[in-house]
Amino acid sequence: MADLTLPLIHPPLPPDAPDPALRFRRRVTLRTLAAELWHDRELIRTLAERDLRARYKQTVLGFAWTFVTPVLMLIALTVFVQRVINVKTNGVPYSIFSYTGLLAWGFFASAISSGANSLIGNMSLLNKLYCPREVFTLGGVIVSMFDTATNMLIFLPLFVVTGFYPKATSYWVPVLLIIELAFALGVALLAASLIVFLRDLRHALPIVLQVGLFVTPVAYGFDAIPKVWRPLYSLVNPLGPVIDGYRRAVLLGRSPELGLLGLAALSSFLFLVIGYWTFKRLEPGVADVA
Amino acid sequence: MLPDGSVRAAEIWKRFRADRRRRLLRDQIEHGVNRALGRDEPAAWRWVLRDVNLDVPPGQAVGLVGVNGSGKSTLLKILCRVMYPYAGTLEVAGRVGALIEVRAGIHPDLTGRENVFLYGSLCGLSRKQVAERFDEAVEFAELAEAIDRQVKFYSSGMAMRLGFAVAACMDPDILLVDEVLAVGDASFQQKCLDRMRKVLAAGTTLVFVSHDLQSVEAVCQRCVWLDNSVVRADGPTREVLAEYRQAVEEVAAQGDTDGRVRIVKAEVLSPETETAESGAPIVVRLVLESPEGFSGSSVCVGVSEGTATPAFMIDHALSLGQGLTEIRCTIPRLPVAGGQYYVWTGVFDRAGADLVPWQPVEKFGVTGAELGLAPRGIVRLAPLWIDARWDVDVADPRAAER
Repeated sequence: MADLTLPLIHPPLPPDAPDPALRFRRRVTLRTLAAELWHDRELIRTLAERDLRARYKQTVLGFAWTFVTPVLMLIALTVFVQRVINVKTNGVPYSIFSYTGLLAWGFFASAISSGANSLIGNMSLLNKLYCPREVFTLGGVIVSMFDTATNMLIFLPLFVVTGFYPKATSYWVPVLLIIELAFALGVALLAASLIVFLRDLRHALPIVLQVGLFVTPVAYGFDAIPKVWRPLYSLVNPLGPVIDGYRRAVLLGRSPELGLLGLAALSSFLFLVIGYWTFKRLEPGVADVA
Repeated sequence: MLPDGSVRAAEIWKRFRADRRRRLLRDQIEHGVNRALGRDEPAAWRWVLRDVNLDVPPGQAVGLVGVNGSGKSTLLKILCRVMYPYAGTLEVAGRVGALIEVRAGIHPDLTGRENVFLYGSLCGLSRKQVAERFDEAVEFAELAEAIDRQVKFYSSGMAMRLGFAVAACMDPDILLVDEVLAVGDASFQQKCLDRMRKVLAAGTTLVFVSHDLQSVEAVCQRCVWLDNSVVRADGPTREVLAEYRQAVEEVAAQGDTDGRVRIVKAEVLSPETETAESGAPIVVRLVLESPEGFSGSSVCVGVSEGTATPAFMIDHALSLGQGLTEIRCTIPRLPVAGGQYYVWTGVFDRAGADLVPWQPVEKFGVTGAELGLAPRGIVRLAPLWIDARWDVDVADPRAAER
């Protein structure tokens, strides 16, 4: 094993600049991406688990904190907002109507904020070992999914108290979930990679999300938006038709508005492709500015 | 495909921005205006690695040495694929374990146990595989009772032990270690070296960055010397380190000389032999000039191999008078092996403050005994040559009868 016949080499001095043909190129194909992600599936799980475990350490309420935000928002909307603005809910109790929107929005907002901070928050790990960097963003989004799933439990008392139950057309929910997930992932990947190089975004993001809560039909219905604007709105903010879809399918027993939902799906997957592409393009420089 | 555990880095170039440009909007606007007017100065880049070639077969231990800022850590980061080179080709086969920054990657809010699992996953192990190695890592890190405590309540030594243990116990094919052993106490350092030796015996490739040349010598059979972003020498550890030491000495030997007392002359004489020789007497002659008298002061004389590896130090009480003082220190049997050495001198007043700061003052060569190569993983503390007598009795049944 020990090679005792090692030669002693003194390399000649290199030229001033490398041969342009030598430029380092990284080959990323969909296949290598998928293979790497599959290989790192346990790492993603561990990262998500770490975030969940670390989050409420040294707090008194512990995991109960997960419920605090949605419950407070729900109270604020039903007790105050509903009295001021008259929301058309098609006979659905306002608490359930608004909570459907809150849950969908809450997932998006928390996925974006945890995803966006996933690279800068994990710089110490990024500088240590190689892994495809999107595992950190994915981990963040998975934590948000977990939170949202937990927050769905609040529907149970709401259904019992109001006596209003979900309709059979709820089978649309998985389709809507996929569209929303694609949108959230795309924006999270875009934000995560841009924020490394443009830290201003870190300060801008909470403001954008705050504004987003009001321009998205969370507290009100999608029909508050004028009919002519709805297609354009669906392209810019796919959450509009998605939230409307949840309400129609789960609460009203109708199918979503397929035309607008199609536009939302198109836009969501475009966001995902652009976000992932940008992420991969910016990835090699991340360690240099860390 | 390369076999697992090999590293093949060819013609690696890497550059960083030399001017960390401010990214404020008004700077960007100014920059844009300048560019539009055609008086934009090209962005300044600084090369940190130029045309670096490193081909490591499985199971080899390579030391990377070089002064601060020579590009060692950047090369290591490129090898573990955390950073991307500007130009060149890179192939790294197998699972990589890296110990680059001591506490990096250790999440302070998690317990030791959770951190071990996190790190194992990062190394590419499944949770089952981590669980199999868990006890070994904990035992190595000596953290048995603290393992379920949050890491932020660990001492820095404990965090370091945890970091080293998980990196070394996860059976990587390639282990990258960057100047981390300096934190632990002496016994833990020896333990880390033992572990590295064990890991090497199991066939792991090691790339080891350290300023501690003795541990490089103890662990690595091959050594690469990076100097100002290029490879100056690459070959057997001893030969490369000898060149490196010599080059570093030339810089270090120009130490500062401003003390209250001036050294007029410092020389090494060998009264019985032509040059200094192992086991023969030498005389260190110093002439000092002092502006005033200092009673109760002391003079120290030391010898180091190169300027980095101390061999021994002796001192003597001294009453320094005003004006010139000549000191002759005779060492009847010079206890060092053959090589290049420095004489160090320092003069201190009664309170221990510098009169002449401790510094290398004269270089001298020693001919004579060649030290044997220490077995891997044993740190040769000082280049001392001890003329010992060895009696080895072979167990002889006939001897017992007599």
